[in-house]
This record gives sequence, structure tokens and C-alpha cells, in this order.
Amino acid sequence: MPEVLKAPLVVEFPFTRSLGPVQSAFLTGLRERVVLGVRTGDGRTLVPPVEYDPVTSEDLHDLVEVAPTGTVTTWAWNHEPRRGQPLDTPFAWVLVRLDGADTALLHVLDAPGPDAVRTGMRVRVRWAAQRSGAVTDIACFEPYDGPPAEPGTHDGRFEDLVTGIVAPARLDYTYSPGRAQSGYLHALAERRAVGERCPSCRKVYVPPRGACPTCGVATTEQVEVGPRGTVTTYCIVNIKAKNLDIEVPYVYAHIALDGADLALHGRIGGIPYDQVRMGLRVEPVWSPGGGHPDHYRPTGEPDADYETYKELL
Amino acid sequence: MPAPTPLRDIAVVAFAQTDHRRTTDEFSEVEMLMPVLHEVLDRTGLRTGDIGFTCSGSSDYLAGRAFSFTMALDGVGAWPPISESHVEMDGAWALYEAWTKLLTGEADTALVYAYGKSSPGSVRDVLTRQLDPYYVAPLWPDSVALAALQAQALIDAGDTDEPALAAVAGRSRASAADNSHAQLRGSVPSGDYLVRPLRTGDCPPIGDGAAAVILAAGERARELCERPAWIRGIDHRIEAHGLGVRDLTDSPSARLAAERAGAFERPVDTAELHAPFTSQEVVLRKALRIGDEVSVNPSGGALAANPVMATGLVRIGEAAARIHRGESRRALAHATSGPCLQQNLVAVLEGDPR
Repeated sequence: MPEVLKAPLVVEFPFTRSLGPVQSAFLTGLRERVVLGVRTGDGRTLVPPVEYDPVTSEDLHDLVEVAPTGTVTTWAWNHEPRRGQPLDTPFAWVLVRLDGADTALLHVLDAPGPDAVRTGMRVRVRWAAQRSGAVTDIACFEPYDGPPAEPGTHDGRFEDLVTGIVAPARLDYTYSPGRAQSGYLHALAERRAVGERCPSCRKVYVPPRGACPTCGVATTEQVEVGPRGTVTTYCIVNIKAKNLDIEVPYVYAHIALDGADLALHGRIGGIPYDQVRMGLRVEPVWSPGGGHPDHYRPTGEPDADYETYKELL
Repeated sequence: MPAPTPLRDIAVVAFAQTDHRRTTDEFSEVEMLMPVLHEVLDRTGLRTGDIGFTCSGSSDYLAGRAFSFTMALDGVGAWPPISESHVEMDGAWALYEAWTKLLTGEADTALVYAYGKSSPGSVRDVLTRQLDPYYVAPLWPDSVALAALQAQALIDAGDTDEPALAAVAGRSRASAADNSHAQLRGSVPSGDYLVRPLRTGDCPPIGDGAAAVILAAGERARELCERPAWIRGIDHRIEAHGLGVRDLTDSPSARLAAERAGAFERPVDTAELHAPFTSQEVVLRKALRIGDEVSVNPSGGALAANPVMATGLVRIGEAAARIHRGESRRALAHATSGPCLQQNLVAVLEGDPR
């Protein structure tokens, strides 16, 4: 078996999320150093506040201010902070029931070590210096041995409401493409195209994914295909993609490599875009660094007969 | 509330799983899954074309591979077009959907599969993305941290202590010594704290794997399996997403699901519990009223192999396989999803009386 290929893969999105009226008031409150809860029909105060009662599903909107001090209801010591977590020094994860609330808020506690943390200990909010209307406007909690702070009387109405948050999310992977695709990529590095044949229906798949989607069996026999092929169908791209250094309009086509039973896709160059046609015979033009075809260009052969590729559309 | 009687007798008639391993770099997801699909079909003599309904469970976030479930379907051989569905959940919920489909009478057999490759990414971080995106996910509380909060709550309540948790881990991995598919087997050290009070030994191994089962209804089940594992009841329930709203020392959703599945009507001899963390077994034993006479996780459970998205389906498969082999008469299988046992599924399986 050839060497297993691996490459770093980063999946990163800035999720832009809109807020409901209760969430909007809560996060605006944090920006203004006010902690709000929401009252339920049976008189409980939920912090953090939610739009609907988790027990009765009743619509909630009666906002009340609670104290920035509270009690730890459970904790866990994290000696090795991970990316994105609120503190970069060892800390305790805590659920904190703020004074005036009936439920607990998840956050972190800045404490010197696990021996300084216990369930039932008193803590207070440490506000972030820069606040934007996000749960991270609470920088963390800190130990507090004073009396319960007197909650203010804010009713949750603000001038300048936060109506959305941008939540960046990043996950890092080390991707490996598996046996069949590794074989395909190894061959591309040598400027060859290989597919795999289904032992049952005999179709040759390019690029191979390791299984015949029709028969549900492993494709194992490697088959060299191309390098030439036939345009089976195409489209004309008129909108320039971000970070893509190709002038529009250009043609993007399905290309059935000779010997393949499945078309792959690629850009067609070396011919005016309005002269590309079904049946056009093409060959790969390899990128300078190798590894994959940059585009395909006409070979100059006569066009392929429709009958030869009609099953590959 | 009495448990409802299913409209049709439906059984698990076959089960197969991969060896669960730390990495499977040499295989794509479909390459890892396909042998399991073939094995489970071979056990019944069925071919893809004979299957009435196919349902799978997986998550693209685990390996960072978009639409991986459509590529996994290549391993089924979905042509001519098959009746098929997918859940972005553990395969136990795919099994629930398939069971429902069979109840309607629209199909007599179903193939259910699930797979997960945790090795390409950091599963602790990946699982933060399932949390409340407004108040919780921005803090990136990883799956071990949340389980540790639950463990400390149990310790504070006097429900367990660290030696008792270590004993759960020890028993699970000792049981797994007989399970060639398991990833962590035999004697495994308790290790250092990962997030205190949980040590590495209290946490599941990280790895890759897949599983598949076949369901069949009525006489079809008897034709396909000598001793079908009849699903006497199955139900799933969910709790509030706010961790601070819940009592983390209890699992009312697991208890209600068990009640609706009929688990409390007669004792079970075996329980396969989906408890990736030792502390969660403590919660589940209490909620599901499992006594010391019950064989809990004879497979080793999730502490011995945790192919995320397939671990719950493996519980149902392992329980069914014990019935197939005549080692159990009545077994409870449990699957969980979300942080701190937020959502729970319970199935009760029985063999025919002998």
C-alpha cells in the first residue's frame, strides 16, 4: 500500500446569529454590566434567560435584574486551557447561581488552584474591559467573600440593543483521504490519472472513492485512464470567484477521460469560450508545480461522436 | 403512564461492527464502513436490493468532511434508487427511525448503520459545536469539562467518589478483554486528571469505527435469524439544553424513555449503557433502576470503544447479539446524545421464550 497521505484542514466560519428579544436584552445588559434574568409563570427566575420556559414552553418576556454575585453549584478544574476558552491560565469551569436567580449560568472561575474551589463558594462577576454584547463580556468569575450585592432594578429596556452576535468557529483537522483517493493523488503527482474498476459492473470510476456506488462493493483494480478525454457537457462562468485568478468568461466542463465511465470536471482553456462544444477532445495542461491539471485544452482531434459519450453525461 | 404495545413485532436480526481503533488513516469513511455493511448483510443472506429501508447516523463535523454521509452511501450500492434516510445523530436514532418505518408496514426489513472518525480532529472541541451557540459555545466548554461538572455534582451529592468511578472504569475494561472489537481492553491506569475530578481513565478512548444492524418484522425476522432480538419497546426523550436548568445528578429523560419502552415491567438480565464517562454510568444506574444482579456493559461499553455517532447503535447491537447467542433473555440498551446525558434513548430487547 502506498504511503498514507495527510494534510492539515482548517474549517472556519464566522457564524452571524440574530437574537430573540430575551437574548438580545441579556447580552445588551452584559455590555452595560447588568445581569438580567427572565421570570417564569410560576415565579422562578432563569439566568441565563431564555425565550421559552424549558418546562412549560410558555413565551417569556418579564426581565428582571439579578446580582453580579452568586454561589458555585458545581465545578471542574481545568489545568490545561484550550483554544477559545475564556482564560489562558488554569481555571475552574463553574455553574453559578447568581443571587436572585433559580438556575445556574455556565462560566469560568479565576482561582489560584483546585484547593481554592469548592461547591457552595461565593463568587462575583469580573467584567471584561471591552464589552460588545456577548457572553464573554463576563471575563470570568472571581472568589468573593462580601455580602450578596443588591441587584439593581433594570427592566431590560435599552436604547441601543444588541440584535446579533458573530460567533467565530474554527476546527482543525489532519485530513487523510483514504486508500483509493490516496492512490489517485499519488498518480496525479506523476501527471497520470488513475481510476478504479468495479469488479461487479466493470465501470471505471475517476476519481475513485473506493466503492462502486451502484454495486456497493470495493473497487480495487487500478486502471490508468486518459490523459485525453471528451467534453460531455459544460457551462460558461461569468462571475469571478473570490481569490481565483482566472478571467471571465471561461468554460467549466465535464470531461470523460478515455477509459473512464464517469466524467470529472475541469476548466477548458486554449480556445475562445464561445467555441467550446460537447464532444470537444481535450488534454490536460499540468500546473507548473504538478499535482493536478491546471486546465484542459483542445487536442485538435475531430470531435467525438455523441454515441461514444452519451452514457457519460 | 403504561408503555404502548408496538403495532408490529420488529427484531434486530443481525449486528456487525469494525474493530474500533485510535486511527484509520488508511481508510476513507466509506472504506471503513463497507466491510461492516457486507458482514451484516452476509449474516442474513440479504442483499442491498432486498432491504426495504436504509437509515444511517453520522456527523460531518467529526472528520471535517462535508457530506460524508452521501459518500458513505456508495458503500450500500444505492442503485436503483433505494428508500433511504440519514440522521445527524448517533445511529441509535437512525434505528429508531427505521423501527418507525417498519411499524408503518411500508417496509419489512431495514439496514441501519453508523460511523464516526474522531481521529482527524479534536473531538473534545468538535462537540462544543453542538451547544447553545449564544450563551455556551462561545466559551468552548469541551466535552470532558462538561462531564467533569456532572461528576463533581455527583460527588457533592454523595452519589459516588473517585474510587467508585475508577471501579466503573476497571470493570468496563476488564469486561472488554473478551471483546476483540474494543479499543481499550484489560488493565488501564486511572491516569492523571484530564479535567478534575475526571481522570484519563474515566474518559472514553478516542477512535474510529462503524457498526450496522438489520431489523426485520414478524415472520421475516424468524426467517433471517434463529433467535431474533425482539424490540419490545423503544423510546427517546430530551431535557432542556440549559445545563444550569437541569439536575445533573439525575436523568429524568432516561427514566421516562425507559418507562415508555416498558423497561420497568419485568427485570432485565443485561444492560448496555451508553456512558462515555464513568460518572454517567452512576446517573444511568440510578435513573434506570439497574441493580447489581444485572450484567452492565459486558462488551466494555463506551469506556472501551467510543466511535462517536456509532457508540449508541453498538449498545443496541451488543445487547441484541447477546440475545442472538442465547446469553440474554431480556436486555436493556441505552444510547445518549448531547452534553451530560441530555438526550436518551432506551430499547428493551427480548428473545423468544425457550
